[in-house]
Amino acid sequence: MTGNKVWKTISTHMVLVILTLIFIMPALWMLSTALKPAQETMTNPPHWIPSKIMWGNFREAIDYGRSEVGFTPFLVYLRNTVIITLLSVCGAVIANSLVAYSFARLKWPGRDFFFAVTLATMMVPFPVLMVPTFGLFKSLEWIGTFKPLWVPMFFGNAFSIFLLRQFFKSLPGELSEAAKIDGCSEFGIFTDIILPLSKPALVVVALFTFMGAWNDFLGPMIYLVDQKTFTLSLGLQNYQTQHGGTPWNLLMAATLLVILPVLIVFIFAQRVFIQGIATSGFK
Amino acid sequence: MTTKLGLSLLAVGAVVVAAAVYGDMAVSRQGESGKVTVVYWEKWTGAEGEAMQRAVNDFNASQNRIFVQYLSISDIDKKTLLAAAGSNPPDVAGIWQDQVAQFADAKALTDLTDLAAQNNVKASDYIPSFYDGLVYHDRLWALPSTPSVICLYVRADLVPKEYATQETFPKTIEAFDDLMFKISTKNSNGTLKMAGFLPASPGWYPWAWGPLFGGKLFVGDKLTINSPENLKAFEWTALFPKNLGAQTIASFQSGFGAFATPQDPFLDGKTACEINGVWKAGYINGAHKTFPWFVVPFPYPKDHPELANHAFINEDVLVIPRGTKHPKEAFEFVKFIQRQDVMERLCAAQGKNTALAKVSENFFKTHQNREIRYLDHMARSSNVIPAPQIGIFPQIRNEISVAAQEINTDQKSAKQALDDAQNRLEGQWQLYRTQILGDAK
Amino acid sequence: MATLSNTDTRGCEVSKSRDLRIGLLFASPWIIGFCVFLLYPVVASLRYSFTSYSVLNPPRYIGLANYQELAGDSVFWGTMKNTLLYLIGAVPLMTVVAIGLALLLNTKVKGMAFYRAMFFMPSLVPMVAQGTLFLWIFNGDYGVLNTPFRKLGLTPPNWLGDPTWTKWTLVLIAIWGCGQAMILYLAGLQDVPASLYEASELDGAGLWQKTKNVTLPMLSPVILFNVIMGIIGAIQLFAVPYVMFPDGQPARSTYFVTSYLYDNAFNYQRMGYASAIAWVMFVVTLILTLFAIRFSDRHVHYGSN
Repeated sequence: MTGNKVWKTISTHMVLVILTLIFIMPALWMLSTALKPAQETMTNPPHWIPSKIMWGNFREAIDYGRSEVGFTPFLVYLRNTVIITLLSVCGAVIANSLVAYSFARLKWPGRDFFFAVTLATMMVPFPVLMVPTFGLFKSLEWIGTFKPLWVPMFFGNAFSIFLLRQFFKSLPGELSEAAKIDGCSEFGIFTDIILPLSKPALVVVALFTFMGAWNDFLGPMIYLVDQKTFTLSLGLQNYQTQHGGTPWNLLMAATLLVILPVLIVFIFAQRVFIQGIATSGFK
Repeated sequence: MTTKLGLSLLAVGAVVVAAAVYGDMAVSRQGESGKVTVVYWEKWTGAEGEAMQRAVNDFNASQNRIFVQYLSISDIDKKTLLAAAGSNPPDVAGIWQDQVAQFADAKALTDLTDLAAQNNVKASDYIPSFYDGLVYHDRLWALPSTPSVICLYVRADLVPKEYATQETFPKTIEAFDDLMFKISTKNSNGTLKMAGFLPASPGWYPWAWGPLFGGKLFVGDKLTINSPENLKAFEWTALFPKNLGAQTIASFQSGFGAFATPQDPFLDGKTACEINGVWKAGYINGAHKTFPWFVVPFPYPKDHPELANHAFINEDVLVIPRGTKHPKEAFEFVKFIQRQDVMERLCAAQGKNTALAKVSENFFKTHQNREIRYLDHMARSSNVIPAPQIGIFPQIRNEISVAAQEINTDQKSAKQALDDAQNRLEGQWQLYRTQILGDAK
Repeated sequence: MATLSNTDTRGCEVSKSRDLRIGLLFASPWIIGFCVFLLYPVVASLRYSFTSYSVLNPPRYIGLANYQELAGDSVFWGTMKNTLLYLIGAVPLMTVVAIGLALLLNTKVKGMAFYRAMFFMPSLVPMVAQGTLFLWIFNGDYGVLNTPFRKLGLTPPNWLGDPTWTKWTLVLIAIWGCGQAMILYLAGLQDVPASLYEASELDGAGLWQKTKNVTLPMLSPVILFNVIMGIIGAIQLFAVPYVMFPDGQPARSTYFVTSYLYDNAFNYQRMGYASAIAWVMFVVTLILTLFAIRFSDRHVHYGSN
């Protein structure tokens, strides 16, 4: 029996390792390239191991383009991205939890109908909204600022509302009633009782919003004009010159720098994260 | 608990709002006190951007009233239009000559005719081919920044000796084709090892094939995408997939590295000839390639000797979008770029031609493209082709490019592809005139 | 009800209106957001779709002209076909791969956090970087993906140049980035009560039978959710082909509805026409989603509630 178990563990690991290798092959290639001297990035046939490990590529990737624009693009983009992402995450967590609370734990006429409508909005493709939203931001004179990218986040979105509502619903109703008897206001119940119990679900909403904002491409492309306001995902385009020449090693180094923080957060948060979704459920 | 949570939320919010305000502040247009700030958007990054930045610095140092702020912007054409629509356009924008008509039609540009006249900027200062393309409906809409002649680059080491000079290289298309197919070589497994010439490599200007055969894309108000001359041109491009095999070419091209890398097919010896711009020399030098090369005009059809000395041009231009706050100051900067020494320095640094009729000996002598004198001569040829001035050029370019791909991959015959393009574009052109031009009235 | 006294009824009404007030207060961000960022744009885009609108000039009403043009626009139908082909390829494959990975990652072995992170990582790579990375991995000569093909003496497909292949290249990239769906499945698996497996084991069920009879039915709501999200995502495909295949090359084989919409809105300044395209997209999304829901009615197993 124990022998069987050991064998099972070993075989599971083997399958996992092989699949992982296949799956992260592109990412390993990214890493291998990020560490190569420029002239080794393109060889026929391609080879994996750089003749010399170039840690300096990361530094160069950060400095890329500094001499011509008078600032360090990577760092400015990083700052912009962090600002937009943080604002988006704050907005999403605050707004969606309030709204989800209303849908999950308050009774008001029309609630279920409005919730159904909310769910249906998930089906509206972004391009449908693109043109009028652009016009809206244009008339607000928000084009070229970060506002079109984060302000809407303070007004909730269907996916997160849905996720949080499911979670709030799973918390026993007696909690609220007991608090009410103690004279707690509805807002007090929300902040003191429900929110502290909902950390896993809030983490999920935060992380999904974070990823969405961090990786958004179309939004920044439409709304941001000035290079100083670009985000990382847009700025990565600058590593390609006008005619398509690319310092591959630097682009890959920059990309790794962009994803590394998120990856680390995920490794540590994944258990809470998955638990958070699991308890919300899709029922 | 409430207070703790509330406070921490507030703190995060405050920090973030402060960061946002700071972020937006830091990117607001800072100038120098007491000066008018002219915001200048350009497409260039890298070495080309540095060259332009130097010209901007020179301008800022040359006087004390105006400060030009250089910003490099990706997708400059779309962004400029959108910014104009958002009524916050830059004061100067660097777009391409082939977009002047579209921008002018959209009423997105300041008419420079009077400003130029007041400032003594004259047509006679320029090489006609570089100036004429900036005049649309008899008004001047742009002035050149860095213009380029595009012609045929030949690797002397990959063609037989008797053809390996500017003088002895085939002059007619027919002789050119013979030579190109003769020198193309295959591996033992049937894959291509080297191709003399491939229309799709790099294939940046498929709209030019027709004009190189004497065709026009439109005459007056009528589109002529499938005119006999254009058809002849595309039947010619179809010879390559026909003779070498569409699949063979496709898999050969799938191994090409990007332009501006040493794996570029021309630099890598995978193609012996290609159509490219004056800037190509800079990339050959930059990759430390030592092979011998030369440039020639595009060959002409045997029965059309009048089409000899054919090349076409591509031009980066400066425009002043409509609705800018400082058109006068903006023009002052644009005019500065037109000064002979400034333009020559800028164009030499970017490896381009100069747009000015007068050229210094020093420009020729120090230019990174050693064929610059010949390329300058080509720019002055009466057969040089500017990009056509028509408001739906983006659509035309797109349709012709698709047609070229369909022909190259053997999905459609040249006739079919051009007829389809013509049909579609006729509809687009009709709509353009009733809608875009109608709205702009 | 009849026994309730008058005061009671009044009290009930007071608390009802109070409920409504508080309920709406809590929901107010979303009510505003819904009206400003969804309802208004949706209505406005419907209105624009009946106009000619070139961004720089105000919209002008032109009736059904945009829709009439759309009906006969071969390029539009081409992009529609490309989009649906991509969808048919990507959504089922992504579902299978994501579930398979989730099942594997739900086993209890050491270092699972690391494995999970590795499979999740690709979904973190920004679209632009994904595009450029794959442009190069798929390169005919320099691409690392072709080496194993060559070693086996096979001719690798022309990933980027063959119009019949390019869409499948994009499908492969989409599968690579299926981490987000995988996480949702993984979470769904945590919800399956162990007692169900035990009962199944008592009946002598093997691994496959357990998966088929317990796991998949229990997972079905998540599957439905992911499939709907997949459909929506596939119809909105934009960034990766935008970076990898300018103009939808070769021969418009990678020209998708959103790319065409983008070109019309921002390259050709035809915002009205772009809005009409957007509305057709919306209707198609709606039909496909309803189809998925209808289909699922017979197969989705919701828990006790």
